[in-house]
Amino acid sequence: MLKVENVKKAFGPVTVLDGVNLTVNPGEVVSILGSSGSGKSTLIRCINGLEKLNAGKITVDDFDVSKPKELAEARKRSGTVFQLFNLYPHMTALQNITLAPIEVLKRPKAEAEAEGRALLTQVGLGDRADAYPAQLSGGQRQRVGICRALAMKPRYLLLDEVTSALDPEMTSEVLDILAKLAKDGTTMVFVTHEIEFARQISNRIVFLEKGVLLVDLPTEKFFAADGGLAQPRVAQFLSKMRKD
Amino acid sequence: MRLDLTILIPHLGFLAEGALLTLEACALALIGSVILGMLVAIARTSSSKWISRLAFLYVDLFRNIPFIVQLFFFYYGLPEIGIYIDAFTTGVVALSIAGGAYASDAIRAGILAIDNGILEAAEVSGLSKRVTFTRIVLPIALRTSVRPLGSVLINMILTSSILSTITLNELTGQAKIVASDTFRPFEVYVVLLVVYAALTYLVSLGITLLHRRLNRDLQEQVS
Ligand SMILES: Nc1ncnc2c1ncn2[C@@H]1O[C@H](COP(=O)(O)OP(=O)(O)OP(=O)(O)O)[C@@H](O)[C@H]1O
Ligand SMILES: [Mg+2]
Repeated sequence: MLKVENVKKAFGPVTVLDGVNLTVNPGEVVSILGSSGSGKSTLIRCINGLEKLNAGKITVDDFDVSKPKELAEARKRSGTVFQLFNLYPHMTALQNITLAPIEVLKRPKAEAEAEGRALLTQVGLGDRADAYPAQLSGGQRQRVGICRALAMKPRYLLLDEVTSALDPEMTSEVLDILAKLAKDGTTMVFVTHEIEFARQISNRIVFLEKGVLLVDLPTEKFFAADGGLAQPRVAQFLSKMRKD
Repeated sequence: MRLDLTILIPHLGFLAEGALLTLEACALALIGSVILGMLVAIARTSSSKWISRLAFLYVDLFRNIPFIVQLFFFYYGLPEIGIYIDAFTTGVVALSIAGGAYASDAIRAGILAIDNGILEAAEVSGLSKRVTFTRIVLPIALRTSVRPLGSVLINMILTSSILSTITLNELTGQAKIVASDTFRPFEVYVVLLVVYAALTYLVSLGITLLHRRLNRDLQEQVS
């Protein structure tokens, strides 16, 4: 279980997360919606330990990310996919994927490579294992980014707007993969502006507004008139997103 | 006076010995200055104020003192306080220290240019600081700093001619001897000009190849 309890985070005088509570159970896909600046990325960055909390607690399978000794264990259990891919530019697709399994999990190189190739094949990049990031399209890079996260066999996959740097065609090739992962029962925390897609794959949708988790509802309920839509801010947000 | 290079033929081996010594000293000093430059570059980005200050002091100091003064200090000054180092070692150490100051600049610029998102990706995947540095930070930094490091190396080859002033008979030192033995300074120094130019040309060619190899992904993208 991934548990966010009463988390507060401020940058200087600006409060970005103001008492956020969120629980993600294994097998769930939870999408985080919210307007720009509402704190979605910050929440993800608190979960993977890139930002320190000011208050509250985040545990990943009971490992507290605020405790240096437990952070390493927590990080082994979560994998992050980034908006801008953040691939290692000097390494091939395969090397990007196998570095952490070999160095962190101490997997034998041959095994890590075989698994890496299998992952690449799953995302349709079986023939690009030896390509460098600069030689790949945006969509291909992001698929490598997803493989890199999956190679660590994480319990929880954290995705922060992983398609917003891609054009529509590439977006759909990445979303197809995420849909498949969701179907296979991968646990995901999914920050996105792709409302329709979130609706298709999520078990739950949460809505963040100015650092406060306004709504946390099962997907059906979130889009129901007497559910999420009853919240004026959510209704406003959804109608604005649909117009864009 | 006519240019008659044939008179140098008997001295070619002697000159080659000097060139070899120049290359040896520069190769060792290159290794020394890159290692030193790396350590200093890390120290300069250190969170400890004292360490980073010390590193900055070193860089500023050695860049602002003429090399020949540094060299004389090591070779003629230090023995006064009981520290004797032979000419070759002194030369290599002095070149390393002076080159290290410049190399640290090149490497530091390469490190600072690394996209923070890449480092975050390494961090969340659980890579240790050491592995992150050796497998990610350093190789990426070298991609960009290999060219400025090449300039440091070329400067080092040029500067190494000054080592002849501390009795080290590298290329320039040997040439001086040949010039005074043969009374043909014109021919000798013509050859010296050509050899230094060829040496630095070869080095810059090597650097270009290395740069291309380290950035091969970007090359292929263009083609
Ligand atoms: N390192 C930082 N220092 C100062 N302020 C920050 C920092 N990171 C984020 N913020 C601020 O925190 C707020 C929330 O940012 P965050 O990136 O979490 O929003 P977001 O919901 O992900 O927005 P978007 O949809 O645009 O990605 C913003 O006002 C932002 O300016
Ligand atoms: Mg964001």
